[in-house]
Amino acid sequence: MKLKTLAQVSAIAALAGIGMPAFAQQTVTWWDFFAGGDGVRMKALIEQFNEEHPDVQIEGTTLEWGVPFYTKVRTSAAVGRGPDLMTYHLSRMPLGLSEGVLTPITAADLDAAGLSEGDFFASSLDAAKGPDGALYAVPFDIHSIVLYYNKSYLEGTRFLDAEGKLTGIESLADFEEALQAAADNGSEAPVTYATGDDGGTYRVFYTLLSQQGGTLISDDGEVLPGDSAEKAVKALEIMTNWHDKGWQPEQALYEASVALFTSGKSAFQLNGVWEVPTMKDLEKNGNLGFEWGAVEIPKLMDTQTTWADSHAWAIPVQGDTEMDPAKREAVMQVIGWMEKHAIQWADAGHIPAYKPVAESEEFKTMEPNATYSSLADGATYDPRSEVAGVASPAYDAAQNIISPAMHGYLSPADAIEQVKSELESKMN
Amino acid sequence: MAMIRNRSRHRLVAYSLILPFVAIFALVFAYPVIEVVRMSFTDAPLIGGGDWVGFDNYARLLSDKLFYKSLVNNGYFVLLTVIPTTVIALVIALAVNRLSGRMQALALVLFFMPYVLPVSVVTQIWAWMLDFQFGILQPVIEFFTGKPVPVFKNPFWVMPAVAVVTIWWTNGFNVLLFLAGLRNIPEELYEAAKLDGATRRQLFLRVTWPLLWPVTALVLTLQLILQLKIFDQVYLLSEGGPFNSSYVLLLMVYREAFQLNHGGYAAAISLVLFLIIVVISVLQFQILRIGGKDK
Repeated sequence: MKLKTLAQVSAIAALAGIGMPAFAQQTVTWWDFFAGGDGVRMKALIEQFNEEHPDVQIEGTTLEWGVPFYTKVRTSAAVGRGPDLMTYHLSRMPLGLSEGVLTPITAADLDAAGLSEGDFFASSLDAAKGPDGALYAVPFDIHSIVLYYNKSYLEGTRFLDAEGKLTGIESLADFEEALQAAADNGSEAPVTYATGDDGGTYRVFYTLLSQQGGTLISDDGEVLPGDSAEKAVKALEIMTNWHDKGWQPEQALYEASVALFTSGKSAFQLNGVWEVPTMKDLEKNGNLGFEWGAVEIPKLMDTQTTWADSHAWAIPVQGDTEMDPAKREAVMQVIGWMEKHAIQWADAGHIPAYKPVAESEEFKTMEPNATYSSLADGATYDPRSEVAGVASPAYDAAQNIISPAMHGYLSPADAIEQVKSELESKMN
Repeated sequence: MAMIRNRSRHRLVAYSLILPFVAIFALVFAYPVIEVVRMSFTDAPLIGGGDWVGFDNYARLLSDKLFYKSLVNNGYFVLLTVIPTTVIALVIALAVNRLSGRMQALALVLFFMPYVLPVSVVTQIWAWMLDFQFGILQPVIEFFTGKPVPVFKNPFWVMPAVAVVTIWWTNGFNVLLFLAGLRNIPEELYEAAKLDGATRRQLFLRVTWPLLWPVTALVLTLQLILQLKIFDQVYLLSEGGPFNSSYVLLLMVYREAFQLNHGGYAAAISLVLFLIIVVISVLQFQILRIGGKDK
């Protein structure tokens, strides 16, 4: 008797379940990896979207950044238990494509979102495409490292103009002169970045390498081809010199490296645009104690370029099944809405990849973003390789080899040799 | 007739009693082991099947410099931990054994407490204590070496430092085993020996040590297996660096499988590690048993 009732109840429930989509809303399961200040802004965007769209509801989950996030995406997408929409680093695309986790974004998809390819910066769009030319993600922002500066250490030097803006840094010699001037003015660590961590070390190294026209990994998979190895040695020698002169902090982990700047001990900081909100908030609450600015990394070597990456939207595969077209449309609707509201995301320091927002009056008056947004045109993305990108062997090598080498445990030439063999061994 | 039926019923009961164990064992142990072996001969990614590649993964392993480096590091770590932790645990157990009542319980709790902590907490505590900029142990290090040392970023310090953390963390359990062993030694043996005029040194060498040998052998073997499986502490404290000087086999398995999506290769490495552990621990246990018989 009991069993029979149970069967009846579940039959009714099943029927109701089948009937549901006819009158119910779409729920978009969303995974991201934003836990800090940008996480707050992303959650505000989700909330606003949900309020404006009673028929489409985003159910957001924030997971741990890096390998944990991407492992989880891969395993869950393979069995169809992944999200409907997720954030993805464009530098991670090569590995994502080899894992077969990403679905192509078609022209029809873009239509549903009210977007078109021409709306995006070319560099980010290229990074979002697979080798087959198909689009596998929709770029959301362009983020890079920038040069933050503390005006108090530069007063009275030639590096501040009449308006109190950084000026006169056009070469490595200029920059090092500014570092020495800051040190003379009492700056404890004239230029701070995460010298003991993977990300900070990697981004500075990669920027110095790219500014010399060097390539970390070529498109056909050669590590440090041609004279790039010499250029890499040069980049590492520059960083080692900063260490030897006492200009950069010793073994600073990420948080400590930021604290050195916010507490006024460093004249310069080489760090991501994502720390802009930290600076703004401190300034607003009157806790900063000095005036600051941020500019595109100056041309220290031969060309003007900076390491960059993008956060993007991607739709993972759903196991062996296809996503229901109505749901896919809802997902694209979310993406379109987010792109058009990217100005709120720019508030977290990022440069919108969506040009109508990046070229809007509102963004052009947003500081300091407008000052450094020029970097978007000439940015150098990570190599298109499965061993490069966020949380990759290239990042590991920065922590495992480059960071200890510049602290004096290995000569730059030997270290670069080791980086090369390490990355080569991970490629087959 | 009745006898036969009875016997077959007996058999049925027996089978039904061992069935749950066999089923669970097959599901969560035997099947995964067979899968790992199968996977190690394929080029499978982390999820999904792959193509049969024969011994390719093993051939690659033998030419992988990082594999040898990791193997050496595993051996180095075993040297740094297994015998030291056993000796320290024995000394502590002997000392605790001399206490009585509440004091003994209190001392035992103090030594056992770190063992209760999860590894992430243990590594966090030590990472803070040894932090290069503000760690409270840096003045101590400075006293001996003349300058602060970023222990987990220094190729020479990193393995010994991880070993110290590991010993601090796991020692309590070994103390417990030794203490149980000490309590099993009958009091009369000591009394008889004392009547014969044995000194304290003789008491330890002639009574305690030989009778404690089975426990010592057990602790050594358990430690060997445990320390060959080192992963968590290295992953959380140094991530294998600097210059791979703390790279160990399980970290290699993790990186290959979860970062690079090479399931087949990772399976081959883990199978090799498994075989190493089996061979070494069986060998060690046999040698220790022979050592025990001589006494």
